[in-house]
Amino acid sequence: MRVHSHERAFMLTLGSPEYPPHLAETPDAPRVLYGIGDPEVLVPGLAVVGSRRATPYGKAAARLFAGWAAAQGVVVVSGGAVGCDQAAHHAAIAAQGRTVVVLGSGADVDYPGSAAALLAEVRRGEVGCVISEQPWGTPPLRWAFARRNRVIAGLAHSLLVVEASLPSGTFSTADYAIAANRDVYVVPGSIFSPGSRGCNRLLRQGAAPVTEVSDLADGLGIIEEPLILAEPSAHADRDTERILAALLADPMRPDDLARELGISIVQVARRIGALESVGAVARYPDGRYGPC
Amino acid sequence: MRFTCRTSTLRGIEALPVDVEVDVGSGLPSFSIVGLADVAVLEARERVRAAVRASGFTFPNARVVVNLAPGPLRKHGTGFDLPIAAAILAATAQVPTRPLEGCALVGELSLDGTVRPVPGMLAHALLARDAGPLIGSAQAAIPLELAGLDYRPLERLAHLSRSDVVPTPLLEPEAAPPLQPALPDMSEVFGHDLAKRALEVAAAGGHNVLMVGPPGGGKTMLARRLPGILPPLDDDERLATALVRSVAGIDESTALRGVRPFRAPHHSASVAGLVGGGSPPRPGEVSLAHNGVLFLDEMPEFGPASLQTLRQPLEDGRVVLVRADGRVMFPARFSLVGAANPCPCGFAGDPERACVCPPSVVARYGSRIGGPLMDRIDLCLKVGRVDPARVLDARPGETSAAMRERVALARAFAADAGRAATATLSGADLLAACRLDPQTRAAVESVARVHRLSGRGITRLLRVARSIADLDGKDAVTRDELAEAVAYRFDTEAGDARAFA
Repeated sequence: MRVHSHERAFMLTLGSPEYPPHLAETPDAPRVLYGIGDPEVLVPGLAVVGSRRATPYGKAAARLFAGWAAAQGVVVVSGGAVGCDQAAHHAAIAAQGRTVVVLGSGADVDYPGSAAALLAEVRRGEVGCVISEQPWGTPPLRWAFARRNRVIAGLAHSLLVVEASLPSGTFSTADYAIAANRDVYVVPGSIFSPGSRGCNRLLRQGAAPVTEVSDLADGLGIIEEPLILAEPSAHADRDTERILAALLADPMRPDDLARELGISIVQVARRIGALESVGAVARYPDGRYGPC
Repeated sequence: MRFTCRTSTLRGIEALPVDVEVDVGSGLPSFSIVGLADVAVLEARERVRAAVRASGFTFPNARVVVNLAPGPLRKHGTGFDLPIAAAILAATAQVPTRPLEGCALVGELSLDGTVRPVPGMLAHALLARDAGPLIGSAQAAIPLELAGLDYRPLERLAHLSRSDVVPTPLLEPEAAPPLQPALPDMSEVFGHDLAKRALEVAAAGGHNVLMVGPPGGGKTMLARRLPGILPPLDDDERLATALVRSVAGIDESTALRGVRPFRAPHHSASVAGLVGGGSPPRPGEVSLAHNGVLFLDEMPEFGPASLQTLRQPLEDGRVVLVRADGRVMFPARFSLVGAANPCPCGFAGDPERACVCPPSVVARYGSRIGGPLMDRIDLCLKVGRVDPARVLDARPGETSAAMRERVALARAFAADAGRAATATLSGADLLAACRLDPQTRAAVESVARVHRLSGRGITRLLRVARSIADLDGKDAVTRDELAEAVAYRFDTEAGDARAFA
């Protein structure tokens, strides 16, 4: 086996003492792990996975939970894909935590291209490592990504699905996690949102819902005061309260909101603008406003 | 036997004087035209010959030479038919010369001797206003309010022989309908109240707008109604707008009645079609939209070269075409309304329909418009699809007339304060116009931080807030206006890889 030229490159063979023991226990564990970065972070962590075509909601959930877990010292494991995965990695790094990127291509290959900067940062070894079961230089292959999900599940203590539509590759990660005897947590979504349909099905099948960080804290063995999400009561004026309550419950276009609440569109626009500027709500790509 | 009469030829939107000299002399019978004439002018020979005969005159059986002076100026178009025919008839003493003296003649002849109008009659009329009477087609739409113009309509070439006909003054002006004709009305738009408000803000400040949303969301419907909420054209604007249309050979009567033009070129438009070009140079869509609205549907689908040529007119309000034989200027001051799908399939971010585009394609799509052009667009509207149920139970919304009134008031308010159109403000002028108090200044800073606005983004935000304050009739921008302006901002800053997705 060829050794990689990157100074932080490492290879772990199944059966060697450095090989992560919790991964070794899982069925069909990879024979060799190729990695670049700091191998010390390969301890049981929180896997955060979700759609590549993420909605702002999915990305916000990934950021919230990954950032929070990383700040508590939990390693955040994900797949480096666009959407939820990258949001989770970035949030972990921003919280000065550690993260593991599990690639379907070789660990030294920049894929997806949009993750190049992220991968370069992680490979330096200060915030974690990039690993893969594929040999150095393996190009991205479709089948390898489904297999890669097995490694994500195996490296994690618990799996958190932030957003998944139907059908979704995220399901395979959940299946692997169940096979590997890991806890599966799911962020519930709106029953109207196609982006959350997969999540809601996982919940119906018995996954544990996560509605605030304390739901995760127990599973991860963390005792810490939970983050507090935006509360309507934090804002003074009555119409603003009604607008915020409505938007947090169900993302809506300002036009519909104005009709529902019987407030003029100009007043709605001004209050939403004010709420947005304090980070209480966010504008979605389609013009609706909702929780961020 | 020689006779000279005056006419004019078009160069851009300007008519330049040309003398038509005719010499009917001895020699082999022939008919030639010299003086840098294009094909349409040379074809005048056949039309003139036929029209002269059909009008009961005789075409001289002699050597006829027509010289168009000044020599170096290119002459084009069919307007030379009438002056050439008149000069030949005068030179052969078939018509009295007195009525022609001091007059310019412009008109195309049909084979039966009828005088037809030519494109650009308005430009010829403007020249004649300063240079003396103009004889032209009786069918030409000459605005009657052109003070000082002496226009003498001529129905048929034969009438030149009747000395009493030529000086006939124009008919008394019909009661010109000052009202706008039926433009589509804003009250027909349901469920897009925020977009309507944003267009009102854009109209008040003269801002350019980009609308982003899935197909069938109502972007085109909204854009078509923008001219209706702009104040009607004033006298100068009417003439300038009608002039461009006249030169392009498009009906100028609506512009003369004060209706702002609305142009919506297809995205396959060429550079020449968009900004003007050709030989002779013709005005492009940007000039035809002068003082009105230029609507670019599917803006990212336009060729990058075509889009970038919009920068000069957006900046200077005119287009200068430089050609081997000189420069031609066309006015082009317009409100740009762009519409774009969020991605090639149109459904990125749609809550109900899944987008089939890879995320990288979505990201690239928005950047096709290009940073420098995006810099000149102040408002971004999200035009989502309206729930069908809401369309059906919608009450009629605000009318264009009510909105137009508010826009006019806002513009008057800004003009009262001695400010130029808000969309043109920047830097110190903009800050001075906004009169931010310390509290509001702090709010601007925090908004900029939360939304990661660049300097450009802050400029846009303040401009839009200033226009909203004009609508509110406020001297200073307050947090209310600022909060509303936030609703019309771009998601990410122009120049970033992702402009609006």
